[in-house]
Amino acid sequence: MSLQNEPIIVAKDLTISYELHRERKKLTALQDINLDVKAGEFVVLVGPSGCGKTSFTNAISGLVPKESGSVTVRGEEVTGPGPDRAMVFQDYALLPWRTVESNVRMPFEFQDLGISESEKNKRVKECLDLVDLTGFEKSFPYELSGGMKQRVGIARALTTHPDILLADEPFAGIDAMTREAMQAEMERIVMETGQTCVFITHSIDEAILLGDRVAVISYRPGKIKEIVEVGFPRPRMSNSEVKTSREYAKLRDHIWKLVKDEASQTNRGE
Amino acid sequence: MSTKANKNAQVFETDDPNRIQDIGWTFREVWRRSRGFVVTSLNITIFFILWELVTIYGNINSLFLPRASDMFAELWTGLTTRAPEGAVFSGSILDHFLHSFNNLMVGLAIACAIGIPGGLLMGGNKYIESILSPYVWALASLPRIALVPLFILFLGFTTTMQVTIIVISAVFPIMINAWAGVKTTEKSLLAAAKVFGANRRQLYIKVVLPYTLPFIISGIQQGIGRGLIGVVIAELFGGSNGLGYLIQRSADTFNTAMTFAVLLLLIIMSLSLINFTRWLEAYVAPWRNTNHV
Repeated sequence: MSLQNEPIIVAKDLTISYELHRERKKLTALQDINLDVKAGEFVVLVGPSGCGKTSFTNAISGLVPKESGSVTVRGEEVTGPGPDRAMVFQDYALLPWRTVESNVRMPFEFQDLGISESEKNKRVKECLDLVDLTGFEKSFPYELSGGMKQRVGIARALTTHPDILLADEPFAGIDAMTREAMQAEMERIVMETGQTCVFITHSIDEAILLGDRVAVISYRPGKIKEIVEVGFPRPRMSNSEVKTSREYAKLRDHIWKLVKDEASQTNRGE
Repeated sequence: MSTKANKNAQVFETDDPNRIQDIGWTFREVWRRSRGFVVTSLNITIFFILWELVTIYGNINSLFLPRASDMFAELWTGLTTRAPEGAVFSGSILDHFLHSFNNLMVGLAIACAIGIPGGLLMGGNKYIESILSPYVWALASLPRIALVPLFILFLGFTTTMQVTIIVISAVFPIMINAWAGVKTTEKSLLAAAKVFGANRRQLYIKVVLPYTLPFIISGIQQGIGRGLIGVVIAELFGGSNGLGYLIQRSADTFNTAMTFAVLLLLIIMSLSLINFTRWLEAYVAPWRNTNHV
């Protein structure tokens, strides 16, 4: 791709705030965020809960209006959702009355991408195949385990071939063992598709294993505390040397120290 | 055998066929599954036998408690005979049942036609909601029976009056449930649909409506219960046909077996209708049930 190394998402002095209903007060969720994401890059945001990480992906997806500053995708200001951005949700957000296949097909119903019916079928099939769900097309979400549900969520996000994949703590509700499998799956998908991804997590290990860069967000208001480059070659999940290396431990410790001060503030604040 | 039944276990197309074995039926398993039905049937049968015995040997005035067999006989003849052409009063349970059932269905249909769109509009538009909600809550909280004299005054002792009372009884549970369904649509489903490009119309048609459907059905279920109360009240107060009227009439003429037969019929009718809507709810929204099995 010629766009390689060109920033695809540019956030400039991005500030997002919410109004508190009971008191006439405004809560700043994110303050003066400056972050560029290059095409094909995997950027992970780590921070304590309530620090506004979710607001950042919501601002990129266009779900949440910004207070000041700007977010641009391929040079265009984000004003609302668009087919170039797709999202994976923490609670899967699958329509329970639809089959797996129908859920994955959902994005095609809402937006006209100028794709033929056969191409749509092909893409649905491809994406289900990519997340290893072939054979479950006719199952309903309530019949599936958490990990499988989230794979449906990932397949749904990829059907439209979005430029940017946003993931908001996608594996937070999934048990530890499945979670590792899902991380490996995510890495494989990103390596296969070259997908640009903005990923939010609480887990430092998940951040290091998946991210090209890890942005540590501070607690209320959320600011970028530091952006850490992760240099390990991929695939990292299947390579046991990565997790046991000294470098990994050092990186983990570094990020942990950055997060720790913030996390202790969370405890004080609540 | 050390296997244990698990309601959540399922077979998928991708399963290794060797994982699935035919374990056959044992007497114990057949009993375990049919036990509920057998016990309930026996329970009810014993209840009626005891009733019969008490009324035979208990020296009880049949004016107050008829024999169970008399009640069933009355129910059977009542359901298998019709009044002759041109009769002023029908003693046939079937005639009155059809009148009541017809009224109930018409009333429910009108209640749905008002309640479902009304509830959806209230859930979807905050202006409509704020204008209508005080009236909805006021009428919903008013004991409906208090309105009966007023409707008799307006409409006389007519079928229209009876149907109106059924509608007034049934419409609010349906409306309030539809309203609540729209209001409680999961935020993440809405966010997902928005992210994938749904406009407002699509949000309502593809997310909010299907999400609300099981709510509407449970509203109808409650509406059936309330509607039946409406049927009986309307016919007790005014009118010369229907099951409510027949209860009144048979009690007045000391035909207690008939009174009990009608009560039994009302129980059967109500349970059948409510079970039907339960089944319908489970059918259209299976995900809701598995969550709390």
